[in-house]
Amino acid sequence: MPLTHDLVNTVDKLDSIKRRIGELRDTFTYQAMVCSGTPCQAADSLALKNIIEEYIKLYHLEDKVSVSECGCMGFCAVGPVMIVNPEGIFYQKLTREDIKEIVKSHFMNDTPVEKFMHRDESTGTLYRYVKDVPFLSSQKLIVLKNSGYMNPENIEDYIYRDGYRAAYMALADKSTAEIIGEVKASGLRGRGGGGFPTGLKWEFCAASKSDEKYVLCNADEGDPGAFMDRSILESDPHSVIEGMIIAARAIGAKQGYVYCRAEYPLALKRLQKAIDQAEAYGFLGKNIFNTYFDFHLEIYKGAGAFVCGEETALMQSIEGKRGTPRPRPPFPAVSGLWGKPTVLNNVETYSNIPNIVLNGGDEYAKIGTDSAKGTKVFALSGDIKNFGLVEVPMGTPIGKVIFDIGGGIPDGNRFKAVQLGGPSGGCLPAEHLNTLIDYDAIIKAGAIMGSGGMVVMDEHTCMVDIARYFMEFCQDESCGKCTPCRIGTRRMLEILQRICRGEGQDGDIELLEDLAKTIGDSALCGLGQTAPNPVLSTLRYFRKEYEDHIYRKTCTAAVCRDMFVSTCQHACPVGMDIPSYIALVKAHRLEDAYKVLLRTNPFPSICGRVCDHVCETKCRRAQMDQAVAIKNLKRFITDNAVRPAVHAVPITRKEKIGVVGAGASGLAAALELRKRGYAVTVYEEMPEPGGMMRYGIPDYRLPHRILKGEIDDIRKAGVEIKTRTKIGRDITINELLDTYDYLYFAIGAQQSAKLDIRGESSRGVYGAVELLRQINSGKKTKLGKHVSVIGGGNSAIDSARSAMRMGAETVTVYYRRERQDLPALKEEVNEAEEEGVRFEFLVAPSKIIAKNHHVVGLELQRMKLGSFDSSGRKKPVPIDDETFTVATDTVIAAIGQKAVYDDPAWMDMIGVKKDWVPVDRHMKTCHGRIWAGGDVVSGPGMVIGAVRAGRDAAIAIDNKIRADNNEPDWQAPVEEEIYIPVELDEKADQITREEMPELSISERRNSYHEVELGYTQKAALREAGRCLRCDVDKLEKSNK
Amino acid sequence: MLDVTIDKPTSIGDEFTQEQWYAIHRIIEKYSDKKGALIPVLEEVQEITGYLPEEIQRYISREMKIPLSRIYGVVTFYSFFTMKPRGKHQIRICLGTACHVRGSQRVVHELEDLLHIKPGECTCDRQFSLETVRCLGACGVAPVMVVDEHLHKQVKSEKVEAILNTYNRE
Repeated sequence: MPLTHDLVNTVDKLDSIKRRIGELRDTFTYQAMVCSGTPCQAADSLALKNIIEEYIKLYHLEDKVSVSECGCMGFCAVGPVMIVNPEGIFYQKLTREDIKEIVKSHFMNDTPVEKFMHRDESTGTLYRYVKDVPFLSSQKLIVLKNSGYMNPENIEDYIYRDGYRAAYMALADKSTAEIIGEVKASGLRGRGGGGFPTGLKWEFCAASKSDEKYVLCNADEGDPGAFMDRSILESDPHSVIEGMIIAARAIGAKQGYVYCRAEYPLALKRLQKAIDQAEAYGFLGKNIFNTYFDFHLEIYKGAGAFVCGEETALMQSIEGKRGTPRPRPPFPAVSGLWGKPTVLNNVETYSNIPNIVLNGGDEYAKIGTDSAKGTKVFALSGDIKNFGLVEVPMGTPIGKVIFDIGGGIPDGNRFKAVQLGGPSGGCLPAEHLNTLIDYDAIIKAGAIMGSGGMVVMDEHTCMVDIARYFMEFCQDESCGKCTPCRIGTRRMLEILQRICRGEGQDGDIELLEDLAKTIGDSALCGLGQTAPNPVLSTLRYFRKEYEDHIYRKTCTAAVCRDMFVSTCQHACPVGMDIPSYIALVKAHRLEDAYKVLLRTNPFPSICGRVCDHVCETKCRRAQMDQAVAIKNLKRFITDNAVRPAVHAVPITRKEKIGVVGAGASGLAAALELRKRGYAVTVYEEMPEPGGMMRYGIPDYRLPHRILKGEIDDIRKAGVEIKTRTKIGRDITINELLDTYDYLYFAIGAQQSAKLDIRGESSRGVYGAVELLRQINSGKKTKLGKHVSVIGGGNSAIDSARSAMRMGAETVTVYYRRERQDLPALKEEVNEAEEEGVRFEFLVAPSKIIAKNHHVVGLELQRMKLGSFDSSGRKKPVPIDDETFTVATDTVIAAIGQKAVYDDPAWMDMIGVKKDWVPVDRHMKTCHGRIWAGGDVVSGPGMVIGAVRAGRDAAIAIDNKIRADNNEPDWQAPVEEEIYIPVELDEKADQITREEMPELSISERRNSYHEVELGYTQKAALREAGRCLRCDVDKLEKSNK
Repeated sequence: MLDVTIDKPTSIGDEFTQEQWYAIHRIIEKYSDKKGALIPVLEEVQEITGYLPEEIQRYISREMKIPLSRIYGVVTFYSFFTMKPRGKHQIRICLGTACHVRGSQRVVHELEDLLHIKPGECTCDRQFSLETVRCLGACGVAPVMVVDEHLHKQVKSEKVEAILNTYNRE
């Protein structure tokens, strides 16, 4: 049955509908609008609406409350949502059980229910009204202005919101030149991605002479990660229809098509309903608004071909053919659909038009930047808290959208990149978070504005995999008409696939770049020309990841699964065989487990205590509940198993190697070289070996006897360690170079960075590294009663906790950023707080106040977070005039470390730059016989990273020696075979993570006893049972 | 009964019922005087038959007077059309960027293991067919899996079996 309605052909009739709807609304005390966008529908919103209606009947509230569906509110993250107008109370995350309470309390007794309102998770602030919810209040709504206020399936709701008034103005009051003039004045550019000025496009088409013209709307939203157009069609279809009527009038078209994806059933349904209603009301059809202007609109359902988003391909498709593009010119404005002049715009572009005509182009042009006017709708998704639809003024920084509106990255993960523009766009890293949303600025940064897909990626995303993903997309969607795209994208994909399989070759990166350029220059249409963009942008910003894949066979994000057995093992810098040793714990075979540990790490009992356990951040179990406590299990093995006996390795090589520095890196290198048959001597300035493990980490975290045990084993293997030997004092560099064929330089970073403020030379001011060294040397050290620590890293926490143990009454850590930015390990921070250490955030020291050369106070400056820095965190900047003073007698500077080159001869010889030693891919310095690694190369890091560096350098030195002698690579001796059982518990998924037992707080004070006590056998067995054994697939393959 | 005689191809046997053939005929008739109607016709026919085997294409070619080569060209060009039969329940896994980033590939692996089919295939009992599709625009609730018309949000590989079971029972 076709809809029938009196024709609305005068402005008076529009007014009377508006009045009638207004009066009708006023009869209800409350109008409940239930979001019916696709995501909310998927979360059951339609059933909720029915339940509300049932309760309203039950309680006889039909005259008081109206219930209706509304379009997507954009805040999909908290769906299903409901707004209760006129006040605009915002309810979120509703379930069927919540409805009765809302109906009774709010609708019956006029008391809105706070517990279903929006609350900020971190601050707990309650937001009652939709206008206050931060996600929505920081937006600027033009295109989405009707969402939440109208039922998309009711044309009169749209008319109530001033709908079809712009169409009336355009048809009845304006000449075509005036309409085009307004659109040109608005500065509106195509929202589909290209950004061509809309007014200009219309002008070209209006100037083309033809008996027939067409207006097309591109709703073939194909970019992965884009759902703006779907949402607009679902929540405000009439705005698109109205925009198209105005466009048709401007160019003189009588027929229009909306080309919409078949994959959008709800959008199709609502658009069809809207067209039917518009026809019934006389906004479509013949003699619209009595102006003798005719316009018919039809939907054309796309059949799933990405290339049909390209305008010439889209027109081919409407003509019923394969959707392949054709060369331009002629442009569609001259020869488009069926060879007639045609205007094609995107959904969002049309949706902007009624507003521009209604309020004037100049008004619209006030929003935005010089080159981009108005607002842009973005679909925010990926690794982001508040995913959904966002409309912001042009010129808003990208980081503001992601962090202030989007709420940042969930689960405490770090931002890595944002993908803009889909397969034609690019990935921008943290350093571009300050880039403004503007066509030209984004292109300059290496992406494109695109249609509005904004996919946020966190640290667990592999950028090579992303490039491969997009290339696969383009390859699959290439229509095949032109060779560069058909074959070129296939070749690029093959290269990317092999890199992701771990089979990348030297030269692959250059080949990709070469192909990218050729395809970009020679492909026929936009799809092909832009297909290499995701590869180019990831190469530009994440080249190191490509190199890691190709040269180190490492996928740091642990995504490319052909490259590894399990994610935890791959994430570990030294590739510890985690699933195996956990399986052995479970099988009560601790001695075997210990042997597995020692295969890759000479310091397992240390790493069982002080590691940052990257492995756990990649543990698959974390997706179910919490990661397996890998670090604690490792410690359990070393605490409880008999340490495997170590035998001296015979010297089989004539070359001798010297190592400078007996820290984790130097010792790991020495041991690896010794295993390969070299005579190795390690030189150490301090009385005992161990470097930072010995003199940096306090005893309560890493008891000295534990360290000593592991270093003794290295000695037993045959490594000679000469302590109390300082280069430049006890032995010269030239003597070293005379004695040894090659040197490994691993002196660490032994000096605290200066605060660089007044009063720093006063007594009572310490550097954290120096202070910890003094304490760990057993020298008597006396700190004051009120200790202030500056910084937020591990050495800040270590010195704060040490100060607590030395009897300080108060210890306060001052950090210039926020809690979540603290670089120190979370468990350390928690333990410090338990012990009474206080934290102050967003403060930086500005002056140390001294009396008689001794510290008496500290002046601090309050900070606020400004724009983003290159790490993706907001930069702290001082707040003017907000300083304060605290009384303190001890200040510990822990804001960074640097290397000390006691013998300046080093600096020239190995080319020190800005305190650090530059090395090549093989860890070689510019001196042909000196390699370097550990903190002195990469800055302060964890033990495990230093071990990796040492081992890599040892391998590189060995390879170099053998290559020079034309010898084959070293063959590791055959290892004892250890059978790894596979046994999974049925109920493994129900076990929660075992907590680490700790020393009581009172026992920690004044003592350096180890705080973490280690698992009991029972706890360890339970914890080991939680491992999901991601290695099983590959293990079975290798067992076969 | 039917008021037209339909020249049904004989080679296809009894796969489609008389009603289905009649519906196809009506679709073609509905679009008879429309320009560029081939794609809508194919879309609607596929809704009736589930897929577009050669025999159906031949029939459409003859009735619409469009060369079979062009029809085949169009059917194979657009991913919406298929020449393979589909299961009673169609499972579509979105491989859009957001879904990819949030682990849709693992969901596909899980389905492959459970159903013993690869994407593009149909189970022997014709209960399920599996497809991977381009972005469905529900990125906010990624990863998504659509069974028939019902969208399942934030699907983890561990939840897949339970979802399938709800359809098995029907």
